[in-house]
Amino acid sequence: MNYLILASLLALGSGAGAEGLRVVATTPDLAAIALALGGERVEVKTIARGDQDPHYLEAKPSFMSLVNKADLLIYNGLELEVGWLPLLVQGGRNPRVLPGQPGNLDASENIPVLEIPTGEVDRSQGDIHPLGNPHYTLDPRNGLVIAGAIASRLRDLDPAGAEGYARNLGLFERELQQLLTNWERRAGPLRGRQVVTYHQNLEYLADWLGLGVAGYIEDKPGVPPSPRHLAELVEQMQRDKIGLVLYASVQDAAAPGRVAAQVGGKAVALPIAVGAEPGIATYPELFEAILARLEAGFGGG
Amino acid sequence: MEDFLRFMAAPFAACLVLVGIHAYLGIHVLARGVIFVDLALAQIAALGRTLAFLAGYELDSVEAYLISLAAAFIGAAVFSLTRLRQRQIPQEAVIGITYAVAAAAGILAIDQAPHGAEHLRDLLVGSILWVTWPQVLEIAGLYALVGLFHWIFRARFLALSFAEEEAVGRGWSLRWWDFIFYASFGVVITSSVQVAGVLLVFSFLIVPAVCGTLLAQGLGRRLAIAWGVGFAASALGCSLSYAADLPTGATVVCTFGAVLVALGLGWLGRHLLKRERKV
Repeated sequence: MNYLILASLLALGSGAGAEGLRVVATTPDLAAIALALGGERVEVKTIARGDQDPHYLEAKPSFMSLVNKADLLIYNGLELEVGWLPLLVQGGRNPRVLPGQPGNLDASENIPVLEIPTGEVDRSQGDIHPLGNPHYTLDPRNGLVIAGAIASRLRDLDPAGAEGYARNLGLFERELQQLLTNWERRAGPLRGRQVVTYHQNLEYLADWLGLGVAGYIEDKPGVPPSPRHLAELVEQMQRDKIGLVLYASVQDAAAPGRVAAQVGGKAVALPIAVGAEPGIATYPELFEAILARLEAGFGGG
Repeated sequence: MEDFLRFMAAPFAACLVLVGIHAYLGIHVLARGVIFVDLALAQIAALGRTLAFLAGYELDSVEAYLISLAAAFIGAAVFSLTRLRQRQIPQEAVIGITYAVAAAAGILAIDQAPHGAEHLRDLLVGSILWVTWPQVLEIAGLYALVGLFHWIFRARFLALSFAEEEAVGRGWSLRWWDFIFYASFGVVITSSVQVAGVLLVFSFLIVPAVCGTLLAQGLGRRLAIAWGVGFAASALGCSLSYAADLPTGATVVCTFGAVLVALGLGWLGRHLLKRERKV
């Protein structure tokens, strides 16, 4: 009799594992957080790889199949995926993940967004990011906000697993909090230092660590900088004694290297997403890697 | 299979519609020796849309479409005016120059946009997998109109591409009908590039036409072969893309290339056999 109960309990447990909640995240950062929270009750798939720019994605048939079968679609929002996600959701034909449904989670919902255009947003002025800078996962404090939102949505969709999700959330928050304190201590000496970055994709990281972004090598994506812009940038770096150029490790190293060389400084490549480089498989590992690079960069220069 | 139909039916239908008009235009383009005219016209249309964007119109608005079409017509005028009967300068030179200058002007124009450059890049890299049924119907309707127009004036279009002297002899205005040809080409290219991207459109235009021209004489037969090859290669490409989960546009382009190589080898083999028999 006892065996029977145990067997049926086991069957229930393994059943939940095998047919876990199917979570699809557009970016590897969101996928990593969802996996940490869902554990074995969820099956997490990612659309963009960590070494891909989520702005541009080659359309593959499997993306539609993923969206079609998903119970929960988690996306970055703030128009990061605007070029393909609406089409993908339309093509995936899955009513569960349509906007407004519980299976549709915009991870940017409670994020304190940086660089929201001030004043009236005039679309004729052009508008890459009228909603603000979308690269918010590079501030680990935002990771806490995202985790809260994902955990609450997992609970809504799978009430039977609520206890487990709450426990995982507690663990995730505790670990990240501890690491945060550690990272902030390590980065203490960098506070207030000025850097130049390649694109506008490191604002949240700079904001968190108190780095000042003095300028960009390429301030319009896809448009090569003009010679005058580069000359002014180099001049400014010399005047203000800025020796460090930061860029995403998935970007081309040539331009940052050249600018840094002109001022006798250093160009440092940072991984900007989970999976951007081998060995970065979880959200905390991403920041460990970033901190190590920053320390090496500032230490040498 | 169910998934395949659900996700690949619209892209495949779009391939068929695109092959339908491009294989036909491709036979003209081959005969005229203006192989890269589609790239140049697409680039000019994209420049037009960029300028419309700068002027304050939404990228997907009707105004932006009309402005890009007007730009393509200007390109058509350039190509018809530079068809020199003595051929001191090959027309490909003019086409190449137009392409390079339009692309560069596009970069300068994007530079003026405070933001928004990212969307502009999408103008030339439409992705066939994301195509929707309303889009397929829209281009099917548009291309049917262009096809009908070419059918009605087929005598003129054919003479212009295949028998220039005859056209001159019958007193038809070369420049005017050349302009009409390139303008209708521009209408097709402006929307096809947005749906499928330049690489795929170029393959649809040239590969089936090359197969048809290689294997047969006369427009009707060439077109039949071109359509057959184009449809089969599209079906193969879409299936491969789904089966191996590869980017759809690039897979279809490579399939077209592979089919052309296979056909070319077959043609060569037959040719050699014939020669042997003669000897």
